[in-house]
This record gives sequence, C-alpha cells and structure tokens, in this order.
Amino acid sequence: MGKADAFAKAGKTAVLQNIQGLMEFLQKFPPFNQMEAAHLVFLVENCQLRFYSSGETLLSPQDGVVEHFFIIKQGRVYGERLQATREQAEPAFDLTVGECFPMAALVGERATRTTHVAAEDTFCLVLDKASFVKLLSLSSPFRDFAIRGVSSLLEQVNLQVQRRAAESLGEQYSLEARLGELALHQPVSCLPALPLNEAVGLMNEHNIGSIVVVDNDQHPLGIFTLRDLRQVIASGVDNLIKPIGQASTQQAFSLSPEASAFDAAIAMTEHHITHVCVVENGQLKGVVSERDLFSLQRVDLVHLAQTIRHAERIESLVGLRRRICQLVDNMLAHGASSTQISHIITLLNDHTVSRVIELTLEEVGDPGIPFTWLCFGSEGRCEQTLYTDQDNGILFEADNPAEAQRVRTLLLPVAQRINQYLAQCGFALCKGNIMAGNPDLCLSRIEWLKRFQSFVFESTPEHLLGSSIFFDLRPVWGPISGYEQLRNELLDLIEQASLFQRLMAENALRHRPPIGRFRDFVVSRKGNDKIPTLDIKEQGLTPFVDGARLLSLANGIATTNTLERLRQLIDAGVIEAKDGSAYKEAYQFIQQTRMQHHQQQAREGKPYSNRLDPDTLNHLDRRILRESFRQAQRLQASLALRYHL
Amino acid sequence: MSWFFRKPELEPEYLYRLGKLLSPEALDIHSLAQQRLVVLDLETTGFDLRRDLVISIGAVVIDQGAIPFNQLFERTLYRNITKVTESVLIHGIAPSALAAGEDPIKALLSLMEFVGNSPFLAYHARFDQQMLERALRKTLGYRLTHPFFDVAEIAPMLNPDAKLDKAGLDDWVKYFGLNVHQRHHASADALVTAEIALILFKQAQSRGIENLAQLEQRLASWRRKQQANTLAF
Repeated sequence: MGKADAFAKAGKTAVLQNIQGLMEFLQKFPPFNQMEAAHLVFLVENCQLRFYSSGETLLSPQDGVVEHFFIIKQGRVYGERLQATREQAEPAFDLTVGECFPMAALVGERATRTTHVAAEDTFCLVLDKASFVKLLSLSSPFRDFAIRGVSSLLEQVNLQVQRRAAESLGEQYSLEARLGELALHQPVSCLPALPLNEAVGLMNEHNIGSIVVVDNDQHPLGIFTLRDLRQVIASGVDNLIKPIGQASTQQAFSLSPEASAFDAAIAMTEHHITHVCVVENGQLKGVVSERDLFSLQRVDLVHLAQTIRHAERIESLVGLRRRICQLVDNMLAHGASSTQISHIITLLNDHTVSRVIELTLEEVGDPGIPFTWLCFGSEGRCEQTLYTDQDNGILFEADNPAEAQRVRTLLLPVAQRINQYLAQCGFALCKGNIMAGNPDLCLSRIEWLKRFQSFVFESTPEHLLGSSIFFDLRPVWGPISGYEQLRNELLDLIEQASLFQRLMAENALRHRPPIGRFRDFVVSRKGNDKIPTLDIKEQGLTPFVDGARLLSLANGIATTNTLERLRQLIDAGVIEAKDGSAYKEAYQFIQQTRMQHHQQQAREGKPYSNRLDPDTLNHLDRRILRESFRQAQRLQASLALRYHL
Repeated sequence: MSWFFRKPELEPEYLYRLGKLLSPEALDIHSLAQQRLVVLDLETTGFDLRRDLVISIGAVVIDQGAIPFNQLFERTLYRNITKVTESVLIHGIAPSALAAGEDPIKALLSLMEFVGNSPFLAYHARFDQQMLERALRKTLGYRLTHPFFDVAEIAPMLNPDAKLDKAGLDDWVKYFGLNVHQRHHASADALVTAEIALILFKQAQSRGIENLAQLEQRLASWRRKQQANTLAF
C-alpha cells in the first residue's frame, strides 16, 4: 500500500473512532449483528463502560426493579440462584463476551431472580432502562431477541443453515420448501365418468404423467398415472373406452400445502408412489411429482430407495452403499437438518436390510418359519449415522423350549449369512456380537421376555448396559405382531420395577455434559492429543438419549426415537412442554454439530471421531452448543430430583 | 523575544468563550467513585516540546466510576504540513486530513469547554500536559492550570508486583488483559487509558484512597521513594 493510500484510509476513520470501535465489537454478536447501524449508534452513544473486579456483584435480587441493561465487553459473569432447599448457592448460568443480561427481568419490569457476579475482572457496557426501552421500540431484531432469547438464536442458526443450503444449491428451493409453494400450477383433473382415452389425451396435451380423478367438489378420488396406463393396455386395448373411474384403482396419497418437499420425498419412498396430491380442506390444490422434486434437488432419494428395493444381487447393494454416502454428504452440504439426515439414513438402511434378507432367503431357500428381524441401539432409535455397527436380532414364535431350539437351528445359518452380507454392504460387524447370528440373540418371544426380565430384576452392570441397548428395539422386517406383544410386556414389566428405574436413572447421570462453572467447556486430552477436546456423543447426546429412554419406559411410551419420545412425554404430561421442546432443540443442535463434525473429518481425510475441539466452532455455534449442554444438565437435574438421587 | 509572549488576536466571540472557561476544582471535593476526570491523548507531529505541534486530540471522560459514551471528544486540527515524517506514519493522519482539520482556535476552545473544571488523566501525562499548555498559550493566550494525573505513575504504584516501571501503555494493556481493537489513534488510546484507570481506581479505593487529593499524596511519597531507590544504586 502506498503512503497516499494509507493516509486516505486513515483519514476516513477520523470521526468518532470509539463509537465506531464499539459498534464493530458489537457487530460480532447476536442480536447486535442484525441491528441497523443507526440503532447501534443509539445504543453505543447512550451506554457507559463499567469495570467490575473479580467477585464483585453486578446485580442482585435485593436491588429491586432492574434499572440497567448489561453487555459483557470483556470478562465473564455468572448467575447465582439461592436454592430454598439447599444451603449453597447454585450457579445458574455463565455468560461471556458479547452476551447480555438481564433480559427477562428488564422486559418484565421486575427485580432479577439471580445474583450476577463477575467471575473474573470484567468490563460491561451498561445501558439505562429508558434507553433500553427506546431501543426495544426502535429495533425489531433487538425486540425479538429480548422477548424470545436463546430460542431466537436457534432460529438464526436454522436460517443460516438454510441460507447456506440455498447458496450451495444455487436455487431458491430446498427440501424445506412448502408444497403449497411448489405445486403452483393448476392440477389437471377429471371426473370419474371421463373415458380413459380422453383422459390420456388430456395428459398428453398438458405433457404430464398423471391425472387426478375428482368428484364435482374437487375432492380427489384417485390418481391415474402412466404406470397405470401400461397395465390397462397390457390387459386389453378395449379397456381404453371405459370410464377412468373404473381404471384408477390407486388411492391418491395427499399432503397439505404446509407439508415440505422433504415430506413428499419421504412419502414417495415409503409408499412406492410417484405422485403426491396437495390437498387443502379436502380440495385438490395441486400435484407434486417425483420429477418436480428431481428438478429442484439433485438429491435422488426416491430413485435410490427404489433401486435398493429392486436390487437383484447383493453386489448391487454393495455398490449402492456408496451412493447412500454420497447422498448424505450432499444433503449435509446442502444444509439438511440432522433430523432429516437421520430419517433418510434410517429409511435407506431399512430398505437395504430388508432387501438383503429377501435376497438371502431367495438364495438359501425360505426356512418356512416366519421371523421378525429386530434392530437395537441407535438403529433401533432411528438415530444412525453412516458410520454404524450392526445391532440386530431375530424374534420368532415357539410354544416350548425344544421347539425354540429346533427353530433356532434352522434360522441361525440364515441369520449368520445375513450378517455377513450386511457387513459387505457397509454395516460393520458388531464387536460385541450383538447380531442375529448369535444364538443368544436368535430367540423366541418367550425367551426374549425371560431375557428382558433378568435385565430388569437382576441388577448387574452388564444387565444395565444391556437394557440401554436392547430396550431400544424396533422391527425392520417380518411380521410385527410378536414384536408388539413383546414390547407391551416389557413396558408392563418396567412400569412396576421402581428399583430398576432408579438404577437406570443413576446410569443416565453417568455422562456429565462438558460444561463447568467457570469455564466455557470442560475439555480433556485423550491419549497423545495436543488439543483438548470433548466427546460430543457421549457427553452431549447420551444424557438426552438415556433420560428420554428412562422416562418413556417408566411411563409406558413405546416409541424408541429420542425426539419422538420427548414429544410423547410432553403429550403424556410427564415433562413440561417448555422443558421438552428445549430438550428437543438442544438435542437436535448437538446432533447437527456432530454430523457436521464428521463431514469435516471426511473432507480432511481424518479418521471419524466424536471428539470435538470447541474452539473450532464459530462464536454463535459455541454459544448455542454451550446452551444445549446446559439443557442436558437440566434434564439430568430433573431426573435426580424425580428419583431422589 | 517579546513577540513570543504576545497574546494572539482573537475574534470577540472566541474572547467571550475564553472568558467563560472554568478554573479547576479542588481535588478533595468528590470521592474517587464520583470524580469526573478527562482522559486525554494527543497526537503530535513529533516529540520536541518546543517545535512540534498538536495535530489531533482524543478525550474520554470518567464520571461516576464509568466511561459514558455520550461524552467523547475527537478533533483533528488544521495544520499546514507538507512534510511526511516518521511520526505522521505512526499516528497515520495524512497531511490531507490535517488540511481538512478544524481551526485550532475552535478545537482547543471546544476542548477546554468539554473539560470544564475537571482534572486531566493521561499516560505519560507530562508530555500531554506540556504540549497542551504550549498549544493553549500560543493559540488562545490561555494559561492551563488544571492538574494532570499520570497513569504511568498510578499503575506501577498500585501494582508493584507487575515490575513495569518504565513500561509503555501496551505493556499495561497486556498486564490487565484488555482486549483492544484499535490503537494509535488519539481517541482509541484515550479509551484504553481510561479503561486502565477504571481498574486502577477500584484498586485505589480498596486501599483506602478516597479522593484525588489523597491519591496525589500517595504519588508524591511514591515518587520520593522511587528517587531514593534510584540514588541508592
């Protein structure tokens, strides 16, 4: 840079540098980074910088109605709430640079319920209440933040993710797009009386692959697609003059305009259909085809699922596995949420497992005994990542031990072959031998129940560990009635067993979320690591998984997925809606962070690991991760209280 | 040499404003927690007290134990300088910016109105004091009597363990672990100096120093001790 340039640049910053400097500082942090410059100037010009030495109290309940708004410029502040039941004050929260307080007390025009203490030498920007109120009325991002607090931060992250998704897709649509926005063109429909050849003429005229049959009030009755036409022609050309109402046997699958493109893709995959009707108040509003979804996503989820279901050989499934990985990578890169990804992985894995079983049975011949393929652990909870072990077993019906033994002898070779084929398809063999080919896991319903009884009534560490794996069970293939019966018996068993519940509660407190009172994150060095890290799965996710499992099993909730368990626990009134949704958001955020972490490792060619250095996250992500861990802490504290631990 | 002491000729408006400037207040009126001080940082064309000129003034205020951001002072002074010197590069104020600066008469009058009857605080205050004294005398014919307090004295007196006797502002910034975003602009340096002063005043209060008069007493005896130590070697 020449001298003249340097001078010109210096000249520009000559006016009110300190105001500008503070604005630049604030613009690194939400909600200030979303506020208009003029409103930030107002904030800065009306505030004071104050210093608090370590241990000094900034605010306390005795001060009366809060008169000031604080933003930490440097240092750290913790909140201390006096517990009526305990003598010692409990740290309630820990705030660092860029964070502000006490929002709730200011907005509610009351005293703070927490004593705010400087954890180290701290500088705060302090705004008087009148200016704070003025700022609320001036700036809507600030107002949003004041009213909704951290949950508005999560929304910001989601917005960021979606924005990133839209950027990398280079299109304005993503899988989150509402169907109402996609299916804009007027759907082509006809009455059931219309002759088939005329209906096909209409389809040809509009260059579309389907026509919806409706009644006089536009209520969809069925859908007729090119696939159906093939069948009609195959069964005799005469049929072409019949009314379409007699030919369209397919029930039209419909979703509301509020559903997302992702919902439609999943529906197509699950139901093996190519078209979804968009229906509002019973009236047809549009049609979304597989082709529509392809055109807005390069994601070929539906196609992939179909290819898996129709694979003729194990080798083709092995090849498809690579495409599943690519798909997941793409979706992660395009900003899909962790919930969507888990959903897709579960779906495609289930299809793969089912197809492997079918192909194996074709190969070795049907043993002639109905059996159900079960999965456990993360697969049982529909929470798999791509990097996963097999955790499976077989359930069959047998009236007596001798019969069970006979069936087992027949099924074991089949099961072992299935395990091997699954391994070829990328599901690593389980080191703990939790696999259907293991005689201990190829059991009749009565044998399973006995096994579960021993888990519940004979408390050993092995049994406790076993329960945390086997009690997240789900059928993937085969009849489900035996599974349902077993599951109901299991729930009855646990509901009565208060001692076992207590042990599970103790177990759920084993992994502590990695946040401390004074430090941002509690990290540790593993082995020869130079950089200290935390285990995002064990310390972050496991508390939620364990807690949700315990509360569900204890309250007769049959579902296995952690988010679904939390949802049903709210519905059942076991946990409060506010707490439950905070847990859900926190869990999803940690899972998302973990998946992005894995993706990063894959990009850098590093081995896959759950250990994360929090310093590699950006400021907003760090802050929300910390808040999410705090929710895990709250869940554990509520379990401790519930089970008197 | 009589031309040197000649009073500058000022327009009536400026004379009027000059007449209304306040004399400094006594140092024992307010407690340290309430005392108003003006934290000053000057940029000059160089370090020669007789020849170099003040080219930019930055000031922030400490009032009621806080730094209020509605009391900031920032001026670049009009100077007809064409030569680019080393220090111009340090403070980064271009000759063009100086040419666009404010009339020094107006700028200095505004500064003293901003100061009112408050004492000054600066880092290496002696330099700022002498520079400002000369500028006020030559530009306004005004004799500066406001007391100056030096952070470069208060800091080592209250923090002998730091062993930073001959330190610069940057050393204290590091010692107190301050996050500084910009430096080497008059007003940014004034803000950093004020932040250090907030810490120092908390320390002083915890050691029973109640007002600036008492602080001055402690400083005087500290200076004597320092001198004695120097002589002893």
